[in-house]
Amino acid sequence: MPKLRNIFLAAGLFVVAALLIAPGGSLLYYRSTKGEGCARCHEIRPSFDMWAASTHRTISCNDCHGGLLTPDADFHASNLRRLVRHVRDDAPQQILMSGQGEIERLTARCQECHQREYAAWKAGPHSATYADIFTDAEHNRKRLLMDDCLRCHGMHFQGGIEDLVTPVATEGPWKLVREEMAGKPTMPCVTCHEVHKKGQPLGPRAPRKQPVSSARQAVAPASLGLFDRRTKVHVAVDLMPVPQIYEGGRPVKMSPDPRQALCYQCHAPEAGGQAWSGDDRTGLGVHEGISCLACHDPHTQQTRASCATCHPRLSNCGLDVEKMDTTFKDPASKHNVHTVKCADCHPKGVPPKRNRGLSIVSSLR
Amino acid sequence: MKISRNPDRRRFLRTAAGVAAIPAASCTRAGRRWRFLTDEQADTIGAICDQIIPPDQDPGAVSAGVVHFIDRQLKGHYAYLQDAYIKGVVEIEQAAQEKFGKRFSALASEQQLDLLREREKTAFFRMIADHAMQGFYGDPRHGGNRDFASWKMMGIPNPPVRGRQQHDLTKS
Repeated sequence: MPKLRNIFLAAGLFVVAALLIAPGGSLLYYRSTKGEGCARCHEIRPSFDMWAASTHRTISCNDCHGGLLTPDADFHASNLRRLVRHVRDDAPQQILMSGQGEIERLTARCQECHQREYAAWKAGPHSATYADIFTDAEHNRKRLLMDDCLRCHGMHFQGGIEDLVTPVATEGPWKLVREEMAGKPTMPCVTCHEVHKKGQPLGPRAPRKQPVSSARQAVAPASLGLFDRRTKVHVAVDLMPVPQIYEGGRPVKMSPDPRQALCYQCHAPEAGGQAWSGDDRTGLGVHEGISCLACHDPHTQQTRASCATCHPRLSNCGLDVEKMDTTFKDPASKHNVHTVKCADCHPKGVPPKRNRGLSIVSSLR
Repeated sequence: MKISRNPDRRRFLRTAAGVAAIPAASCTRAGRRWRFLTDEQADTIGAICDQIIPPDQDPGAVSAGVVHFIDRQLKGHYAYLQDAYIKGVVEIEQAAQEKFGKRFSALASEQQLDLLREREKTAFFRMIADHAMQGFYGDPRHGGNRDFASWKMMGIPNPPVRGRQQHDLTKS
């Protein structure tokens, strides 16, 4: 009996010692290698190298991806599975984020530094939750839910549409299979931002001494890129296409703004590239050739303050452009502000311009 | 081993440190660049692939990550081809040494082509040519086609812009 007791005591000591010292030792190892300890596991090396050259290289792996003290059983189980596969020399082709918990940790970490952008995103339509999108009775009655919905709404969800919402039919009532997903955002920060994108870290924001001229402005934030659900990687915005849109047979004048490539991934026309087919919202008429982001704030999507960017308060007609009969003033208007033409209000012909003010937009064309 | 009822602190810490070190000690591949290949094998395969898809105004096989693709697949779907790769690389290295006295990757382009032309009909050459194509033109998630190099070359937009037909089922 004393022998058996000694064995139990030894085993207990191992467990206690491991629990007490292994986390501390690992943390010490992690800190002493400045995060490079993560890359000792060579299948993570590409991700580590990207991070080391990225705008976020001053933020440790643990801060976003979690560490030994992260209170998430799924996270630790996933790490254990990875460790087993690594030791068995059976690493997966791609090292991917471990799931919803990791997305939430990332989003919370983004918020810590990017508070203004987070608040703007939260106030806008791109923070729509799984419940908002997938249990919308009006939508679901008209259109059948399908896996492809997840390409733009819930691209990080691990599973198909049947794992998310039930029934997959045009007759409800609809409910989420996993109720805890209801309040989670379908398009979190990492939908449009690649955290490991190459660039210089931002320092504390100093007051600008002079306005930044357009020639010195960045064309697009370094991090801008779409999380492609099919391949589970971010595609940088400078690698993505801005499609040529057509109105009938006429090629629509496209803004050269490369950031639009991101918008067009989800607000996309059907295969023929016709304006306003599918989810397309390309500007036509007086707003043709203008970037989505010239009017829409990138995070709130609001356009309230946008008219004054280009227009004098009074238009060529002498009317306040914000009070014209368009959907900008009243969503019920039959004149969609995206496509409004002079002829919409002047069906008998557009009168000659009065010399009342120069439209900046006209002068640029 | 005799276990004391009052284990001293040093032994306790030593034992625990041993437990903590198990995962680190079990990793024998730390710091290696490739999953399967050695650096020398990777150089040889890269040189062969760059002769099959040479760089010009667009990236060649090596720049497009074809060697990474082959290396990754040799630990995955193509694990059964590991021996074929090792034998093929050894054979071409021996030929390079015998004919030119240098490693294959150190030869001039014309010398590399000479050796490859002699082997154009071999199973090894056909296999590596197939894999070079797969790595160059396939999806980047498999390790090759870095930054969509071949798709950009061919003008294939990625990701494709594809909207959905907003068909109202209540009206059909």
